[in-house]
Amino acid sequence: MRYDAEKWITLRIRFIGGFFVLLFALTFCRAFYLQVIKRDYLLKLADRQHQKIIPLTPVRGTIYDANGAALAVSVEMDSCYAEPKSMEDLGSASAQLAPVLGMPKESILKKLQGNKNFVWLQRRLTPDVVKRIRDLDLEGIGFVKETKRFYPNSEVAAHVIGFTGLDPEGLEGVERRYDSTILGGTGYLVTERDALGRNVALKGTVIQNGAMGHNVTLTLDKNIQYIAEKELAQAVEKSGARAGTALVMDPHTGKVLAMANYPTFNLNSHASYSPQVWRNRAVADSYEPGSTFKTFLIAAALEEKVIRPGDGINCEGGSYAIGGRTIHDTHKYGRLSIADVLKYSSNIGAAKIGSRLGPSRLYTYLKNFGIGDRSGVDLPGEVGGSLRPWSQWYGIDLATISFGQGVTTSSLQLASAVSAIANGGVLMKPYLVEKITDSEGNVVTSFEPQVRRRVISPETAKTVSRMMEGVAAEGGTGTNASVEGYRVAGKTGTAQKVDPVTHGYSATKRTASFIGFVPADRPRITILVVIDEPKTSPYGGVVAAPAFSSIALQTLCYLKVPPDTVVRSKPKAVEAKANPEAVEAAEGAIVEEGEGIVMPNFRGMSMRQTLKVMEEKGLNVRLHGSGRAIEQSPLPGHRIKPSDQVWVKFAPTA
Amino acid sequence: MIDRRLFTNFDWTLLVLVFLISAMGIVNIYSASASYTLVGAPYYLKQFYWIVAGMFLVMLACSVDYHLLEDIAYWFYGVLCVVLVAVLLMGKTSMGATRWLHLGFFSIQPSEPMKVVMIMTLARFLSRYPVVDGLTVRDLVYPLLFVGGPAILIMKQPDLGTAIVIILIACSMIAYAGVRVATLIACLAATVPAIYLGWHYYLRDYQKNRILNFLNPERDPLGSGYHIIQSKIAVGSGGIFGKGFTHGTQTQLRFLPEQHTDFAFSVFGEEWGFIGCLTLLLLYLFLIFWGLHIAGRCNDRFGSLMAVGVTAMLFWHTIINIGMVIGVFPVVGVPLPLFSYGGTSMITSMIGVGVLLNISMRRFMF
Repeated sequence: MRYDAEKWITLRIRFIGGFFVLLFALTFCRAFYLQVIKRDYLLKLADRQHQKIIPLTPVRGTIYDANGAALAVSVEMDSCYAEPKSMEDLGSASAQLAPVLGMPKESILKKLQGNKNFVWLQRRLTPDVVKRIRDLDLEGIGFVKETKRFYPNSEVAAHVIGFTGLDPEGLEGVERRYDSTILGGTGYLVTERDALGRNVALKGTVIQNGAMGHNVTLTLDKNIQYIAEKELAQAVEKSGARAGTALVMDPHTGKVLAMANYPTFNLNSHASYSPQVWRNRAVADSYEPGSTFKTFLIAAALEEKVIRPGDGINCEGGSYAIGGRTIHDTHKYGRLSIADVLKYSSNIGAAKIGSRLGPSRLYTYLKNFGIGDRSGVDLPGEVGGSLRPWSQWYGIDLATISFGQGVTTSSLQLASAVSAIANGGVLMKPYLVEKITDSEGNVVTSFEPQVRRRVISPETAKTVSRMMEGVAAEGGTGTNASVEGYRVAGKTGTAQKVDPVTHGYSATKRTASFIGFVPADRPRITILVVIDEPKTSPYGGVVAAPAFSSIALQTLCYLKVPPDTVVRSKPKAVEAKANPEAVEAAEGAIVEEGEGIVMPNFRGMSMRQTLKVMEEKGLNVRLHGSGRAIEQSPLPGHRIKPSDQVWVKFAPTA
Repeated sequence: MIDRRLFTNFDWTLLVLVFLISAMGIVNIYSASASYTLVGAPYYLKQFYWIVAGMFLVMLACSVDYHLLEDIAYWFYGVLCVVLVAVLLMGKTSMGATRWLHLGFFSIQPSEPMKVVMIMTLARFLSRYPVVDGLTVRDLVYPLLFVGGPAILIMKQPDLGTAIVIILIACSMIAYAGVRVATLIACLAATVPAIYLGWHYYLRDYQKNRILNFLNPERDPLGSGYHIIQSKIAVGSGGIFGKGFTHGTQTQLRFLPEQHTDFAFSVFGEEWGFIGCLTLLLLYLFLIFWGLHIAGRCNDRFGSLMAVGVTAMLFWHTIINIGMVIGVFPVVGVPLPLFSYGGTSMITSMIGVGVLLNISMRRFMF
C-alpha cells in the first residue's frame, strides 16, 4: 500500500514536471520565432522607432582644368542644427543665437517651435560663426560637417563651370551637364531618439557618408582661358560693346581650350548677378554670322569646282541688283580674284559665287559644316542656330546667306566649322570634358575626339586657308588680327542685327567678329572673337581682330609654338593704324532696306499663271495645294521683307 | 538544536542556481536602468541589498524545522485574510490599485506573503485529508474555499496577476495531491461558465482590455497594446546573439515599459539574444526540476506538498512573466522571480527558496 502510494506520487510529479516542460517548450519556440524567424522585420520596426535620419549634402567631385588645376572644389564646413526637444529655454536660446546667425530672433524661435525634433538653423557656416555658437554652449545645438562648393578662381571660366544651388544640384555649365557624375551619394546623419522623441544627439549620432562624386577634368586650360577672358574684356570695354564671346579650340580634336564670355560673374557669389549674365553666350546665343560665312561659301564652291582659285569675279562697282534689291559693297570693286573677294569681303562677289553654287549645294555644305545643327557639345542649353532648308529660300535669300545673313549660328558652331577648314576638312565634335575619374583618381570615362564628318577635301581646305591668310595680310579687312611671327588665317565678320521690333535689320546694331586659326599652315588653335553691339566701330576687323591677335600671340607663346618667321622689328599695331580706311572700306551696309519686291496679287490665278509671274519677278514662292490661288502672304502690294514667309494657297474650284 | 546532518545535506545545487539567476538579474537591471535619471541609489545596488536581505531570510527559513510551519499555517492564513480585508478598506491607492497597507513606518503588500501562506495552508490541509483513489468534487469544497476567499479579495484590489498565480499554485498542489479523472472533467467543465461569468460580472474594463489587446495588440498600439508590441520588438530585434550588454536600442532609448521590473526579460532578450534567453530559461527549468526533485524525495506528505507548492509558485511566475513579455500571455503584472527588480518579489521568492532548502536538507530526518 505504502509502496503503491509512493509510486503514484512519483507518477504525479512526473506528470506535473511534464506539464511544466511543455509550457517551457512553448516559450522556447516563441522566443525562437521572435528572435530568429521574425528578427529582421522586428529589427526594422525597432530602427524605424528610434532612428531619425537626416540627409546631408552629398559631396561633389572636383572639376579640374586640362592641367589638373582645381576649378571647382567642395570644402567641408559645419552646419548647425537644433533639437528643440532637448533644449531648455527656446526663447533665450533664440535671443542668443540671433546676433550670431544674423537672423531675427522671431524667425529662429519659429523654427524651434515647429513640431520637429530636428531643424537646420543654418547650413555651411564659417569657422568664426561656428566658434561663436559653440561658445554659447547651448543645450540641443549641434554641428555636422557638410560640404560647400567653392570656386578657387572666382570668375575664370564661370560660364563653362557653372554653379550649384544650395541643395547641391548643378544649375549651370558643366556642374549641371555632369551633375549626376559629379554628385556623390547622399550621406545621412542618423540620430537616435528615445521614446519621448528627444534626439539622443551625443550618444547615438552616426554619420553615414555617401559615396564620393566623380571628378571631371576639362579640356579647358586655365591659362588660355585666362588669356581669352582678359583680352575679351578689354576688347568689349574698349569698344563700348554690350557683350562678347571668345573661343579657343584645338582644330584637330575639337577640344575647347577656352570659352570666355563677357560680362562675366563670380561663381562664389553667383546669386548677386542677374541670370542674364549667367548665360553661356558661346553656346546659348545665336546670331547672324555675317562675312565670316564667306569662308564656307568659297570652300563649298571650290570643292564643287564651280569656281577655281584663279577665277575673277566682277564686283559690279559696288552695287548689284538681285531679286528686286540692291546689294552694296562699301568699297567699289571691279574685278576681284576669289582670294580678294574674301580678303576685301565683297558681298557682291559672295552673292555671285553663291548663285553659281546654287541653293541646294550651298545648303548641303553649310549643313555639313554643322550650321543649323547642335554641335552636341557637353554643355547645357546649346542652340542650333537656324538655317532654313533651301526649298524655303526666297527672293535674295541665296545671295544674303552667301555672305552670312538670314542665317544664325552659335559661336561654337562657327568655331567648329572654321576648325574643319583648319584641320584639312574634317568637322570635329567640340567637347569640354577630357575624362572622368573616381575619387581615387582612376579613370572612369575618357573622351576621345570624335569626327562628325568630312566636309571638304584637304586640298580645298588648304586653298581656303591660303585665301584666309590674305584677310590678315596688309590691305585685308583683318590686318589687326595679324600676329607677329606667325601666319594667320582668318576672316572678319560684321553682321547687321535684326531688330526685334521691326523684324528688319537694325541700322546701328552690329555683331562684329573675327575668326581664324594660327599658324595658318600648321594650325594649333582656332580662335573666335565676337563683339556684340560695339559702339566705337561696327567692324569685326576693328573691334574683334585685335583681341584675336592678342589671344593668339599669348596662347602660341604659352603653347610654345615656334614662330613661322623672324619677328619683324616694326610693331604690328602701328602698321594697322596706318590703314584704317582699308578696314572700314571693305565692310559696310550690305542690303538696303525698303527696296524689296512688291508682292503681286496671285488670287484667282491658276498654278501655271502663278509660276509664270514668279519667274518674271524673280520670286520664289512656296505653293500649297492645287487649283486656284485663294490666299497669299504677304498681301498684294506689300513689300516682301527678308523674314517674311512667302506663300500662296490653292484650292480646287467647284 | 541544529543537527550536524543539516550541513552535510545542505542543498548547494539549489543555492547556486538561485545565485546564478539573481546575479544575471542584477547585471540586467544595471543595463535596464542605465538610461534612468537617478534619485538615490541605483536600482542594481538596491536589488543587491534585497538579495542580501533575501539570503538572510533563506537562512532564517531553513534554520527552523519546516514542520513548525504546519502548526502555524492556519494562524498565518487567518491573520493575512484579515489584513487583505483591511487593505481593501483602508489601503494606499497607487496607479489605480489598492495593494498596500501602511503600517506606520513601512508599508506591506499582503498579497505577496499570501502566496507562501496559501502553500502552507493547502499543504497542511491536503496532507491531513484522507484520500482514497484521488479527490472527489466534494473533497475540493474546502480547498476551494481556502483559495477562493483570498483570491477574490486580491482580485478586488485589483491585482489579477497575483490572484491568478495563487489559483494556479492551488491547482498544481491539488493535482499533485491527486484528483479523480471525473473530478478533473467536472472542473474543466466548470471553467467555461466561470470564464463567462467572470468576464461579464467580474473583470474590470482595463483587465478586459488587457486580454483583448493581448489577443490583438494592434487594437490599441499606443495604449495598452503598446507594451506587448514594444516588448516583442525589443526581444525580436535582439536576434540570435543580441545587441550586446547596454547596447539594446529599445531599452536604452526607453521604448520598453517597466523595463527593470515586469519587462526585465525583454531587456535581457534584446541585449543577449536567443542564446541568452535559452540560457536563462534552462536555468529556470533546472530550478523547477530541482524543486520537483526535492518534492519527490521528501518523506512526508506535508513537506512534499509544500515543495510542489513553492515550485509551482516559481514556475507560474516565470512562465506567466516570460509569456507576457514575448506575447503568449496577456499583460498581467507578474514579475520574473529572482530576476526582476523589486523587493517584495525578491523576499517572497527567497522565502520560497528557503522553504525548499529546508525541506531538502531535512529529508533524512524522519
